[in-house]
Parts: sequence; structure tokens; C-alpha cells
Amino acid sequence: MAMVPANRRCSGLDCENEAGSLQCPTCLKMGTDSFFCSQDCFKRSWNSHKAVHKAKSNFLTNLFPPNVVSEPDPVTGHYNPFPKYSFTGPLRPVYPLSPRRTVPASIPHPDYAIDGIPRSEQKFVGRHKITILDAKEQEAMRKVCRLAREVLDAAAREVKPGTTTDYIDEVVHRACLERDSYPSPLNYVNFPKSVCTSINETICHGIPDQRPLVDGDIINIDVTLFHEGFHGDINETYYVGDKARANPEAVRVVETARECLDNAISLVKPEMLFREPGSVIEKHAKSRNCSVVKSYCGHGVNQLFHTLPNIPHYGRNKAVGTAKPGMCFTIEPMINLGTHRDITWPDDWTSVTTDGSLSAQFEHTLLVTEDGVEVLTARLPDSPGGPVPMPMVNGEKSDEDNQSAQH
Amino acid sequence: MDDDEAPELIDATALPSDSPSVFDSAPHRVPITLITGYLGAGKTTLLNYILREKHGKRVAVIMNGASTSPTALWTSANITHLRIWRLANTHSNFFSPFVAADIEKSLTVNQNGQEVTEWLDVGNGCICCSVKDSGVMAIESLMDRRGSFDYILLETTGLADPGNIAPLFWMDDGLGSSIYLDGIVTLVDAKNILRLLDEPAPEEHAHESHPGPALTIAHLQISHADVVILNKSDLVTAAELEHARQRISSINGAAKIHTTDHGRTPQIEGVVLDLHAYDHLSHLDLQAKGHTHIDPNISTIAITHPAIAASSIARIDAWLRSVLWDSYLPPGDCSSLASADFEIHRLKGILALNDGSFRIIQAVRDVFEIRDAENSRGDMNSADGPDHCKVVLIGRRLGASVTPWQRSLESFLHSDKNRQ
Repeated sequence: MAMVPANRRCSGLDCENEAGSLQCPTCLKMGTDSFFCSQDCFKRSWNSHKAVHKAKSNFLTNLFPPNVVSEPDPVTGHYNPFPKYSFTGPLRPVYPLSPRRTVPASIPHPDYAIDGIPRSEQKFVGRHKITILDAKEQEAMRKVCRLAREVLDAAAREVKPGTTTDYIDEVVHRACLERDSYPSPLNYVNFPKSVCTSINETICHGIPDQRPLVDGDIINIDVTLFHEGFHGDINETYYVGDKARANPEAVRVVETARECLDNAISLVKPEMLFREPGSVIEKHAKSRNCSVVKSYCGHGVNQLFHTLPNIPHYGRNKAVGTAKPGMCFTIEPMINLGTHRDITWPDDWTSVTTDGSLSAQFEHTLLVTEDGVEVLTARLPDSPGGPVPMPMVNGEKSDEDNQSAQH
Repeated sequence: MDDDEAPELIDATALPSDSPSVFDSAPHRVPITLITGYLGAGKTTLLNYILREKHGKRVAVIMNGASTSPTALWTSANITHLRIWRLANTHSNFFSPFVAADIEKSLTVNQNGQEVTEWLDVGNGCICCSVKDSGVMAIESLMDRRGSFDYILLETTGLADPGNIAPLFWMDDGLGSSIYLDGIVTLVDAKNILRLLDEPAPEEHAHESHPGPALTIAHLQISHADVVILNKSDLVTAAELEHARQRISSINGAAKIHTTDHGRTPQIEGVVLDLHAYDHLSHLDLQAKGHTHIDPNISTIAITHPAIAASSIARIDAWLRSVLWDSYLPPGDCSSLASADFEIHRLKGILALNDGSFRIIQAVRDVFEIRDAENSRGDMNSADGPDHCKVVLIGRRLGASVTPWQRSLESFLHSDKNRQ
């Protein structure tokens, strides 16, 4: 991350000086930036600083050297694992993460559960045909997506000020196991938890930790289950507390994202081009003065967690392919109030907006039918959340009906 | 690196110009050229071309981690302007098969007698639903970290299929990448090329199981080329050289061929670099010679059509989708294609519209786009632009005659009018 803050502090031991442009060459080689105010200070700090170089490949090992980690809170034991990182918004990670959760061997695991590598996905790199599911396979997708919806709803019921994202992870994990399902995110390319929880300026892939939700937050919960050989993928953004529902900016970004997904789904039917949903999404986002994240796309989902097709969420793209009956894929637009640009935290997962502005997302797993689409992860009558009306600026709620269809 | 002595701090401002901030709305874009061809076909020659011609420019060379050590190659070059990186094992679709992320690869480069170790930072970011290939992102972050380069050369020599790699770098404008695909330059050894095309070793076959003459990696490297550098011409007779030229030209009638002789090179300003092969068209591109079938596998054909109405562009798009995505040539009114098994490697075209404007078509394998023709460089303005449409296709099993293709496009456009 080459983020250079205006006043950078020296990374030296017990040094309060501002740092100029002098950097540790070993850190540079490793791809990180460590600034020091002077060669003397660097020499003085060398013994403790060099411990940073030793532990390299796993991001967790960055936590060991005491001068790189903030002091744990004496009461809670919580700390920020990246105190020198130039966060783009107010959100901070709150470590330690809870211990790795396990899944009983009786529940079938996907191939990457062992070492993080989704080998079965790699076999299909390059040109290949998109999977068409037969009736039996479609039924299996229906089932896992229904279970994913149940798990998401269970997690969403815990959304209130004070709940930690780690607790949401615990609820999701348990709910998966109760449904004889493996939580797909767990160890997927070494993701450490069973669900992605993305708060405020976080675009996606937030890691559940010890931070309690705060009245006014918005949180996206992204659940995927692996059940009897198939993955079902779903996410929604929820308001935390009345403060969030009364915040016109929060409502604008969340409802725009919801509507973008609805608009895109209305295109889905046989012969739809995968390059088309992006135009519709971008057009609607623009009409609400929001931007569309470009870096992440919708994806095929079936026996594989992520596979072809790729479905960009922005317009004017060169995505290849046409929808045919029996194909399953997600559309999952990420919409921001400010810039579309994203940057990833040093944990190598959490993606945030570069200007710290709010971001919201919604996702469904879709099955193309003979004449249209089946939303496999559709909302149930008792699903929590759902659209909220735009609040009036003076605090009174608007009576205006929100136009978006309830999926 | 486990010494007990603190090394010298490095002054970040001594590095090349500050990288553009991520907050910039329009990042400076650096062209990336894919260099392909067999090992031994003449990387040094090419590098000397570039460094002599582009003296003073900053050139980054990126090599596959698996390829041979380059240290011996660069000693004659002006390497203060050269930075070389090995791309570490990544989740990238074009470098090594999938392995766990590992940032330990490095490369030692001789720099005026001093050894300098240059790392390529490869993040462990999420690959699952990323639009960009992780190898591409690694190169972008390299550009961010090390400041602006003028050119990037990506070596994909050996046994890589450029048709799988090019689309990764041909990114949508909306992604705002700091790099863009300038073109593919293929190095060919005049002495060996005919053998490579006709008598390949087993590992030189392209991966596929069709009957008929073997498709080799050499075929793919030539069919996808925008420029071919025919090296070692001094090692063959004039007749052999002409033979090689014709063979190459028959495979790819749109690529420019440059012959090198005793290390002497012709003026190459703008012909190896600054190709803009994926976002521009020049008249030369469209003067493709087609219809010679010296090579049993790959040929070039050119289709023409009178100027069209703007409303027909959607129809052209549909025809391209059928041909490029479904490998299906909509039947023309009389002739049909003998083999239904064709494969397009590269396609370029220009659409002349009735209103005097132009669109250009670019395609590599199944990725294509129709875009407005830019009038910069005087390429296409109504004064010297063509008055008709032309589409040049390079691919496999296109058939002996251009007629089915010609008829197909004509009927397809015409049937749209009938419907309306």
C-alpha cells in the first residue's frame, strides 16, 4: 500500500518525530513502507524493527513486534493490528480475532477447506463452457440457496447496537452446521471466518472481529453455504438502529444498491448478454449520484463458489457470454456515495472506499429459467430488513412508498 | 536477510517521480507490450532495439518466474533505465499454475557492477470475484510503488498462448487501470521457424485434440502478433528468408514484419512500441493480404462491405458474437463453410458509416469491442478513411475461400433490414 499520509510519524522505537522520506530498504523490498526520521533512530530501533522482516508471509505475523501493534487495552485486551496504517475512514479493526471455528467431518468440506486453495476452480481457467445445471442440480441449488437465506436472516436478527461482528460470525457458523452445511468463506483463500461483515465504508470482505455495532452503522452481511456439493451466495445491507434509518445519506446509498440489484435482475432471462446488467446498474447509480465499484463482479456459482461467467457491475464492458437456461450466477452491485475506487487493508481482505464514504451492497443467486429468472435466494415473508423510506431532512419520515420490489 | 547491522535508509524521493495518488481521477497509463516467441529467438536484439531507440526512457521488463536467468542478457544494455522483476507465484491466470501466494521471489540484476535485488510485491488479495487478474494487479501495484515507467515489456516467451494472456491486459476503460495493452510483439528465428511450424516437438503442440495438422505454439504466437521481428536473417539464405516471410504473412496478414540482419535494425520509431494495436487502427492494419493458404492451419481473410447505417452496428455486434463466442458462421444465402470448426484468434475491422463517421472493431479470441474511431494521429478522418467496411480475421480452419464469410455478413446485415 503506497498510501503516504501528510504527517507521517517515525516508526522508530519510542520516537515521536515526524518522518521525512527515509525508508527501511528491507521493508521496501517486502512491499511495505516503514519511515524513519533519521539513520540514528533507525539504528537504535533496529533490533526491534527487524523482527518485522522475519515474519513475512502471513499477515497475522505482523502482530508480533510490539512497536508495530497498538498497545492492547488493559481491560478488554483489544487492539488495532495496523496502528500505522492510513485508514481512509473512521472504521478500525478490533483484534484479536476469535479462534478459528471448526466444522465437523460429517459435513462435506469443499476442497479449499484444507489449505485454502480452491483447486477445482483453477481447472476452469481460460476458455470453457459455462455450467448448465440439469433439473436435479437446479433443485440442489434451490435447496442450498434457501438455506443460505435462512442463515442470513438468522444473522440479520442479531443486528443491533452492541452486537459484535464476531458474534454474527458465531451465529452464522452455528446456523450453517445446523443445516448440515459448510460456511463457504471459511478458509477460502485463507479467509479466517465464516461470513463477511462489511460496515460503513467497507465495500466487501470485512472480517468479523470484536467491534460492537454502533447506532448509525450500516452493515452488509454476506453469507455463502456449501450444502451437498453446491454453493449458495447471498448478501444484504442492514441499518443498525434508528439513527441509521434516519440518516438520508445512509438510506440513499443502501436503497440505491437495493434498487440497482432489482433493476439488473429484471434483465435476466435467456439470451441476456452478461455485459448488459452493468449498464443498468451504473445508470441507476448515477441517477442517485452514487458510484459503482468496478473491482469486484458477479460470478457463476454452483458446484464452485466462484466460476464463470463474470458479470461486471459497470457499463461499457467486454464481458463475454450469453445467459442460457440452467445457468446460475450472482449479481452483487457495490454502490458508494463518493468515489468508486477501492483499496484493501493490510489484512489483505477488507476492501474500503478510498475516500471513506459509505458503501452498500446487495446480492442474489439467480437461476436462468426457460423464459426468465428464478431468484433462488429470495426474501421470505419474515425476512428481517427490507427497504426503508427516505427520511425527511427535518427528521420526519417520508410517507413516500419505496418503489423497489421486494425480493 | 538476517544481519545485525541496520542497513542504510533509502530516500523515497530519490526514486522516480511520485506515483499518481489513488485519488487521481485519470491515472497516467503506461503501455504494456507482450513479448512472445521461442526462447532463443532474440530477446536481446529486441531489447537493444528498444533501448537504443528509446534512450532515456524508463523501461520495465517483467519476466515469468519460471524462465531462465536474464542476468547474462542485460549486460550490454543501458540498464540504468531498466528494471527487471520476476513475477512471483500468484493466483494469476497467466503465470504459473495456482500455488499458494508467496512473495519470496526476487531477482538479482547487474547494475553497473553493483548487485541490486528487485522485488515484485504480490499481494494476497481476494481473487474470488476480482475483475482483474492478480498478476495484472501485481504489475499495477508495481507501477504505483516504483513511479511511472514509459514502457513495460512482459515476457511471455516459451510455451504460453498469447490468446489467453492478451485479454487479461485489455481491460475495460471503466476500470481506470494504470496500464493498457499496447500490443503483442513476436520474436521469430528465421532459421528455425519453419521447422517449429511443421515439425514441432511434443511439448510445442498447442493443447487441443483436433485431428489434422498439429497446431503449434509457434502458430499461436504468430497469429496473435501485431508485430513480428524476424531475427537472424543473416543465418539463412535470401530464399529461405523469403520463404519464412511468406509463411508468416500467410498466417497473419495483418502483422508488420521487421527483419533484423547482423544485429542492425531499421528505424523502429513507433513500430515496436507505441503500437496502440488494441485501441487504434491504421491503414496498414487494413491492407492485410489475405487468401494465401501456405499454412495448413492458420490463415488470414479480409471481408469488405459497403458503408452501413448506424442502426446496423447492433447487427454487426450480433454477427461478431455468433462468430467469436459461438464459433458459428450464420449461413449466407448460398455458400456455407466447409468446416464448421473454425476458431478466430485475432480480428480487426473498420466500419464506415453513412454519416461519415467510423467505428473500429478489435477482438482477440472471444473478447471484442466496437468503439468510436479516434481521429488523433490523422488515422481516420473522412478525407482519407475508407468508404467501405473492412474486417480482417486471423484464425484456424477459416476455409479456402472468403466467400462464405462475405456472404454471411452480407445476408446477416440484409436480413435485419427485411425484418424492419
